[in-house]
Amino acid sequence: MSIGPALRYHWNVNLLGRAGLRWVRWQAERRVKRGAHGKSHILTPPLKISARTKELIGRHYLKGRYANLRGKVAWVTSGAPIEFLKALDFYLLYPENHGAVCGTTRTAVDICAQAENAGYSRDICSYARTDLGTMLSCQTPVGKLPKPDLLLTCTNICQTVLHWYRVLAHHFDVPLILIDTPFVYTETTDHSVAYVKRQLEEAIPIAEEVAGQSLDERKLKEVTRLSKLASELWLELLGRCRHRPAPISVFDQFIQMAPIVEMRGDNFTVDFYAAMLKEVDERIAQVIGAVKNERKRLLWDNLPVWYRLRYLAEFLGRHGVVIAASTYTNAWAELTPKMDPERPLESMARTYMYPILNRGTGDKLATMRQMIDDYRLDGVILHSDRSCKPYSVGQMDQRDRLIRDFGVPALLLEADHNDSRSFSKEQVANRLDAFIEMLEV
Amino acid sequence: MTIPAIPRRIDVIRTFKEQGGYVAAVLPIHYPRSLLRAFNILPVEVWGPPGIKARDGAKHLQPYVCSIVHNALSFLQSGGLDITDILIVPHTCDSLQGLGSILLDFVSPKQPVIPIYLPRGKRESDVDFFANELRSIYRQLEAITGHSPTDADLLQSIYREEAADKLLSELHRCRRNLPFSNLAFYRLLRNREHLPAETFMELAQKALAQKVDTTQDGGIPILLSGIVPEPMSLLGAISQMGGVVAADDLACCGRRLYPPGQSDDPFRRIAERILYAPPDPTRGNSIKERLEHLLQLVETSGAKGVIFYEVKFCEPELFDLPQLRQGLQEAGLPSLTIEMDLNDPLSHQALTRLEAFLEMIQ
Ligand code: SF4
Ligand code: SF4
Repeated sequence: MSIGPALRYHWNVNLLGRAGLRWVRWQAERRVKRGAHGKSHILTPPLKISARTKELIGRHYLKGRYANLRGKVAWVTSGAPIEFLKALDFYLLYPENHGAVCGTTRTAVDICAQAENAGYSRDICSYARTDLGTMLSCQTPVGKLPKPDLLLTCTNICQTVLHWYRVLAHHFDVPLILIDTPFVYTETTDHSVAYVKRQLEEAIPIAEEVAGQSLDERKLKEVTRLSKLASELWLELLGRCRHRPAPISVFDQFIQMAPIVEMRGDNFTVDFYAAMLKEVDERIAQVIGAVKNERKRLLWDNLPVWYRLRYLAEFLGRHGVVIAASTYTNAWAELTPKMDPERPLESMARTYMYPILNRGTGDKLATMRQMIDDYRLDGVILHSDRSCKPYSVGQMDQRDRLIRDFGVPALLLEADHNDSRSFSKEQVANRLDAFIEMLEV
Repeated sequence: MTIPAIPRRIDVIRTFKEQGGYVAAVLPIHYPRSLLRAFNILPVEVWGPPGIKARDGAKHLQPYVCSIVHNALSFLQSGGLDITDILIVPHTCDSLQGLGSILLDFVSPKQPVIPIYLPRGKRESDVDFFANELRSIYRQLEAITGHSPTDADLLQSIYREEAADKLLSELHRCRRNLPFSNLAFYRLLRNREHLPAETFMELAQKALAQKVDTTQDGGIPILLSGIVPEPMSLLGAISQMGGVVAADDLACCGRRLYPPGQSDDPFRRIAERILYAPPDPTRGNSIKERLEHLLQLVETSGAKGVIFYEVKFCEPELFDLPQLRQGLQEAGLPSLTIEMDLNDPLSHQALTRLEAFLEMIQ
């Protein structure tokens, strides 16, 4: 890196930016202390650590804003095996996470419209539309996204990301690494695992060439170790929701999951989740629940409805209903502990083939069933996400089986994770009311 | 002159079964025909079918899943596939992945269900993986049929399919020197979806025997892209409006002009044939490859415009459209997109746009 850009990066990120974000965090912490979030009689105020979450996310995007000055940038899918890129010092941007930021800040629809005006159909995933809208217009609530030098897409969450990243590759004219992970209908085969491992091996020289450096085996092991540690802490955190009352709800989890998705493999992510676990344990010791008057506990299936988190939390909370677990947040907890830092590539190949979205619909039902038992849940809300076919196809049968075979009340709720035009407040309220009545709260 | 007599699909199936064969219903798009035939299994493709009551499928699938998948499930559940012995579900897209999975886990039809994972590239590792995947399919078919074809049997079956595909390519190549309408020509081509290769070859040879030296139609040449030209009345409408389909990039037709394989290992050879076929988004080809292929088709066919005829909710197709259309535009080629649902007739709006497009490029 030449001196000019290096100085600009250092000035903007490490000096000005860091100080600014610290100030914002300090203010947020004071607000939490003063109880400035309002005295809700429904929900417990957010975790104190939320101020730090904001700071982490802010810092991540701030680094991103200047990342092209500092080194190489890769855009990656949320389920991709990123450890080798991290070990090669890439700045990693997760367009899906950026999509979620656009969803929560309610800027997604405007940004999607940019993509739609350019001919992208409203029938494609709204994360993709959000990202393509940003690609075309540079519109984003985080200031500015860095341009990629490399793209990494992994089909372990969907085929959509393959089509989406092909579009990015065409637009930015940069190399696209594909890690194709054969779908596990019932059980995986040895030739599938060997295939994924070989693709990882073949990906390394491509990434090395873009990075202009060779992969250091020790660094890869270290990144893998940190990834694993953070995921284990995340798993523990989610497990704390087995307590009654649940100390945090999935709505808290949705907000707090950003670092585990986009900051895996970093030291500070491990520290962050260790601190969060401590705070959650304090809540448990003081018998504080996310919902003040917890009466029923539910499971959430599929992506969040990013632009309606607060609305849904309060709507359910009013009736004493907490959503204590979700197959979605669980996806970043259930896998990485299987990783072996001593055999990073082999273990990565197996691990990254197994996210919930790359397993059959029956297996997903079994996961839900297990979570219902583990977390002592009273019912399930299956968000039928118009955008996400791999998560949603199968839900109609899963709902029917939950009700018929296991006697668990289950509701299919039609929406979209990022496109609020597919969310009918009235319809959702009616369906939730009827469901809550059925739960006999 | 007319198109040679085409045997009815149901008669073909019955005859094949009477002769001791099995029949597999196969969902779109790519699958190993020759492997199935080596087990005396006749693949019969299910592209929907169009125009059926999709009620049964709606019990399992949300409305935002494409009509090909909805119809296939409805058709299966209404008994339309009862005559078949095996269901083959290639992993073509997220929707077919979902269908394959719910068939295995929840619907449990009477026929065994075999999903096939198609790699999304054509690297050495993809070919190796796919060859291994085919070996695993071989073992499943062995268990179902009790047959164990040898490598020589497999190669013989592959050579037969290669010969049939060569004739299919020939039909595509000299389509404008054949005395058939758009509709008749595509009816002929689409027999490849259910006829045994040997029967298809007879048909193709009869059709090719009618080839003349001069171009048979004076219509406005267009290139048709998309998944499947259903309802087939689309082709009639194009003719009526003075257009002629001079080339296609359809998943059911032009994207399946499989080249001959190179390897002597039967499994690798099948893998090579499928993975090296013309570009297809469901096999992960880049947009650049697709654009170059379209431009080449335009050049060889003299097409004056491109019609993208897309199934609603089909992500693999929809993602590529803006950049493909932009690339075509930069090359001076107008294009039009029409979305369809298999269960709806061609709308007036679609017909009007089609007519305006043909007038514009004339
Ligand atoms: S929301 Fe679903 S379809 Fe969209 S990128 Fe994520 S997994 Fe893929
Ligand atoms: S039309 Fe598109 S979405 Fe539907 S099955 Fe075919 S490839 Fe999949």
